[in-house]
Amino acid sequence: MAGGLWLTFFSVTNLEQIFVKTNNIFVSFGVILIFVFTMFIILRYLLLMFFSILQTLQRTADKDFTIYEKDKVTVIVPCYNEEDVIIPSLKSIIAQTYQNLEILVIDDGSKDKTYDLAKKFEFSDKQRSLRVLSKTNGGKSRALNYGLEHAKGKLICCVDADSKLDKHAMELLVQHFKDPKIAAVAGSVNVVNTNTFLTKLQALEYIQGLNMVKNGQAFLKLVNIIPGPLGMFRKEAMLEVGGYSHDTFAEDCDLTLTLIAKGYKIDFEPDAIAYTEAPENLLDLLKQRYRWTRGILQAIKKNRQYLWHITKKPSISFVMWYMLFESIFWPFMQLWGDIFMIYLALSTGMSQLLLFWWILFTVLDVAGAIYCLLLTKEPLSLAPYAIIYRLVFITVINIAKIFATIEEWFSIEMNWGKLERKGRIG
Amino acid sequence: MNLLSFLSFLILAITLLTMVFGIIAYFLYKAREKKKESAELTYEKILENEDRDLLYFTKEE
Repeated sequence: MAGGLWLTFFSVTNLEQIFVKTNNIFVSFGVILIFVFTMFIILRYLLLMFFSILQTLQRTADKDFTIYEKDKVTVIVPCYNEEDVIIPSLKSIIAQTYQNLEILVIDDGSKDKTYDLAKKFEFSDKQRSLRVLSKTNGGKSRALNYGLEHAKGKLICCVDADSKLDKHAMELLVQHFKDPKIAAVAGSVNVVNTNTFLTKLQALEYIQGLNMVKNGQAFLKLVNIIPGPLGMFRKEAMLEVGGYSHDTFAEDCDLTLTLIAKGYKIDFEPDAIAYTEAPENLLDLLKQRYRWTRGILQAIKKNRQYLWHITKKPSISFVMWYMLFESIFWPFMQLWGDIFMIYLALSTGMSQLLLFWWILFTVLDVAGAIYCLLLTKEPLSLAPYAIIYRLVFITVINIAKIFATIEEWFSIEMNWGKLERKGRIG
Repeated sequence: MNLLSFLSFLILAITLLTMVFGIIAYFLYKAREKKKESAELTYEKILENEDRDLLYFTKEE
């Protein structure tokens, strides 16, 4: 923290020198913009970490070890061409310690052996059952709604077919629904294939994103996205908002925003873990991030009226502004900041500013990474990756996000872009 | 050259190279998707986007 403050002081001193010396209005404006942006980022980190610590303390104090099995949980597994991953995924759902389960596998018109493989797992006993339903291909959101129509449970758990669940996941998620205002609970997502440099960076990103960002948001009960690999919903609340919509590529984000707009609370359970396969090559990663960015932007665009409901609906308004900041403002500002500082270095010779700026972000990233790794008991060997995380990984991802934003702005046609699975979750 | 100047130059160079790499990677991804799409194109898919019942091809001389 002291290092961060020291660097902030140096960066501000550098910025002030440039601001005082220059007569160029573009440079003066750029300096002010960089200063404001950097302050926002520092504030964001400090607040999220503070809320995350408070949330962890609150969770530890409120820990209740009673298992509630009153409510039936319907697990919906939508799948399309998942023959490489469906078996370990279904095995992990069947192995859940929570007994009151109904599992619905929705085959969305797969062209491979997914249906036949899943069909072999069908069973029914007193408390549990597994059924495989087939429909013509119509996309993930339609498959989830089809499952919702056939669900008997009061709680709905949506699980991606390429995810493997920890055996306690269901029982941990169910506990949150004792509060009637809770409409959904996000599970934790861990990368299973940390075998390459790229997947290690993604593992670090997931750990930070979940334990600092989602855990911080959970303190306010305003988690903004229920992840596809694992999330549980109150069926009544889902039906009230009409289930999943089909007009965005981020149906999970859209549904969460709609629930928050209705006044519901959204929580996060860090110990309910889903293991998922991260893209192992850069182009697949860009494909995934391109879809996520455009999907989130579509959800923001669809719900944009809530941006101005600052006094009427402060919760959804706050979430919308936060998402706008993270998905548009931050990537653009980060890239613009880099370009501006390169320009300053070349025109004024003050190349140290870029170094200080990078170190400042890296100190925040490393501090965040160490906090999250200690919290999750993940290997600390991932922490050094935070040094190049901002410099290389985030820059490349931000470029893809910016292109995706531009394409979304001009409504350029896109398709779902399903990733090919390597079958690592097995 | 002192350490601070060296590090500043290093970060400047890495930032510039990463930006160029990021842009190239994005266009490579786009090119790959385009290639994949055209490889997956079938007669039925083309027909879906046409108003006609049948498509006629002419042999190149």
